[in-house]
Amino acid sequence: MMRKALAGFAAVALMAGTAWVAAPPFADAQGGGTVEVEVKYSGAADVQTLKVNKDTEQCGKEAKVENIVVGGNKGLANAVASIAGAKGQPTGKKAAIDQKGCKFVPHVIATTPGEVDILNSDGILHNIHTYSTANPSINKAQPKFKKTMTEKFEKPEFIKVTCDVHSWMLGWIAVMPHPYFGVTNESGVAKIENAPAGKQTVEVWHEKLGKVTKDVEVKPGATTKVTVEMVKK
Amino acid sequence: MARTSAGRATRRAHLLRCLLGPLPAAYSEYAAVGPSSAPRIWTLLVALFRARVGLHALGVSLIIGVVFAPSEGSAQAGDANAGKAVYERKCAMCHGVKGDGKGAGAELLDPKPRDFTSGVYKIRTTANKTPSDQDLFRIITAGMPGTSMPPWDVLPEKERWNLVAYIKTFAADKFKEAPKKLELPKEVSSSEASIKRGKEMYEAIECHKCHGNLGRADGPSRPELKDDWGHPIAPANLTKRWTFRGGASRTEIATRIANGVLGTPMPSFIDSVEKPEDVWHLTNYILSLGPESPAYATLVTVNGTTDAIPDDPNAEFWKKAAPNTIPLMGQVIVDPRNFNPIIDLVIVRGAYNDKEIAFHLTWDDPSQTTAEGRADAPGAAKKIAADAIALQFPSKIVPGTERPYFLMGDATDSVYLLRWEGGKAGEVSASGPTKLKTLEGGEVVSKTVYENGQYRVVIKRPLAGKGEERPTFQPSTFVPVAFQAWDGGAGETGTRMSLTSWYYLRLEPPQSNRRFVVPPVVALLTLVAMLLVVRAASRGRGR
Repeated sequence: MMRKALAGFAAVALMAGTAWVAAPPFADAQGGGTVEVEVKYSGAADVQTLKVNKDTEQCGKEAKVENIVVGGNKGLANAVASIAGAKGQPTGKKAAIDQKGCKFVPHVIATTPGEVDILNSDGILHNIHTYSTANPSINKAQPKFKKTMTEKFEKPEFIKVTCDVHSWMLGWIAVMPHPYFGVTNESGVAKIENAPAGKQTVEVWHEKLGKVTKDVEVKPGATTKVTVEMVKK
Repeated sequence: MARTSAGRATRRAHLLRCLLGPLPAAYSEYAAVGPSSAPRIWTLLVALFRARVGLHALGVSLIIGVVFAPSEGSAQAGDANAGKAVYERKCAMCHGVKGDGKGAGAELLDPKPRDFTSGVYKIRTTANKTPSDQDLFRIITAGMPGTSMPPWDVLPEKERWNLVAYIKTFAADKFKEAPKKLELPKEVSSSEASIKRGKEMYEAIECHKCHGNLGRADGPSRPELKDDWGHPIAPANLTKRWTFRGGASRTEIATRIANGVLGTPMPSFIDSVEKPEDVWHLTNYILSLGPESPAYATLVTVNGTTDAIPDDPNAEFWKKAAPNTIPLMGQVIVDPRNFNPIIDLVIVRGAYNDKEIAFHLTWDDPSQTTAEGRADAPGAAKKIAADAIALQFPSKIVPGTERPYFLMGDATDSVYLLRWEGGKAGEVSASGPTKLKTLEGGEVVSKTVYENGQYRVVIKRPLAGKGEERPTFQPSTFVPVAFQAWDGGAGETGTRMSLTSWYYLRLEPPQSNRRFVVPPVVALLTLVAMLLVVRAASRGRGR
């Protein structure tokens, strides 16, 4: 009887101990802060214009290849900012990328591993052709009657997406290993919500300019601003 | 059976390409043109020579290979080490010792040789990226029609399985994932209704964007297409089934539609047709777009007529005329050479009457390019020239088998060219591929139609040739003829052309109505004579 009670006590103590050890990081993540990353680029914007020879009703007469888009105040658009090396669960939110006006809209989407909806608002033939190494590459036709296709991207990676029918179309799907990321808007600002507090490293990725990192002290419950400069390699 | 004839055609083309090799030696003055011949030319010639020696040495097996269809065989476990030796002897010249597709010959090939280190294979019967061993074995055995990859059924089956094992080692990690067999929907046999549905689907899923309205590879997206390695790539010409890379059987075509062609712009359609069986309707439609095989002619027949010959290439007259299909290949004798010609065949029809002779030529060219079109074409930065085609005859038609040098004649024996360029025909006298002289004052007329990636041209001139440099055509004689063609849109001009060696043209006299009169009259007379003989004989016995 006594021995049984002792064993029970020990088991409870062990469980409690485990819970105590596991608890702190959990509590820390809850007390996360927001990081506002401003990405700057001093170089010239690189947007090429091409003549369109088909589907002009949907695509327009000119197509724009947005290699480097620079907004007001030298803000760099279409860059992905994230907390390097962070760990966290997938957001569970299904991301979506549209093909509208023979462009991928938005140009860059960022998501955690899982499904992505690929929409065809144009109502003409597109083909989703991805270039990836960690995930299987896909090349699937999306004819006019196929309004939505759902594809799975399970491994973190920056995936290039093209359409061979309209060769100027280019988009990116950033599959991130954790939910602490943001994509810069046209003025070059991205917000990382709920970032783990403490000393962190912000990593910025751009399709043409590569990666840049910067250390930041994330204060719980507050917004920390950080400016990152990108240069042409 | 279909595969045997396709294989035979490829093999023939490959052999012809190889046999062109020794010609420069015989005509050394042409070989000497362009002393700057880059060393890579020699590398390729050596490669071709080696291939030829290999093929000759195995000539007996080649004949066996032609007679019997390549044996499919069940999958065997090959020995990668043994395969390495065969690979280095037979494959490394193009695919590279490291399997990266960067062998010595690679630079001049289009499409480029497969990079085995990527583990990406175009032709699969699997639903995932990993091809089955059988898929790899099939390509080694049957080759890839329309590319530089010849069928290797000359190698013993065991060696081909060893090669399969060896090429997999270049991307061992990619083959960790087991191949998953693609399940095709239930087969739908061909019928008028199925072909109709296939056509509807072809339009609905916009196959024409690349393959063109009638499947002649002339779609608006064609100039933009690139493979995963960034090399330009052409869509398949669906009217020329014998050039399909992965074979032309029903199942093979349905598999390509369902599965796509990995590493190329051709996407998978299995989830992107309205109903799964549409894959078969599309297959049936594609099969209806062209003949099973090109049925190459050995002689060009020009039929005589007593009527006027129409100029219009679309006239009913020409639809009734018998087609003669002539294969063309790249000019690889003098610099600059054309290792990857665009125009691979021309269909020739001919007719003559007591005054004139006319030729009706049909060939596929994915883009119409005229000399004037150069400046405002979307690809103006690229070098383009006017599209052109030529019929070549000896300047003087003499009895006997002696003919001028087939590559536009030489200093001693010149040739006469009926040359059409960018919509207009004229006459040229040539004494070498770069020694051309336009003949003035001729009476050549032509009319051109360009529709859906195909030219149809009628060229006419008087039967009698004016002056020394124009031949006169006479009925019932054999006239040497050769053909040359240029796709200006692809930058083909000058010696960068497709051509043939000499063929013969025969002017068949018009068949008169006498053949309907003379035999019955003879039969009647014979009958009368027989009756007379019988009567005379019976009268004699009665006496």
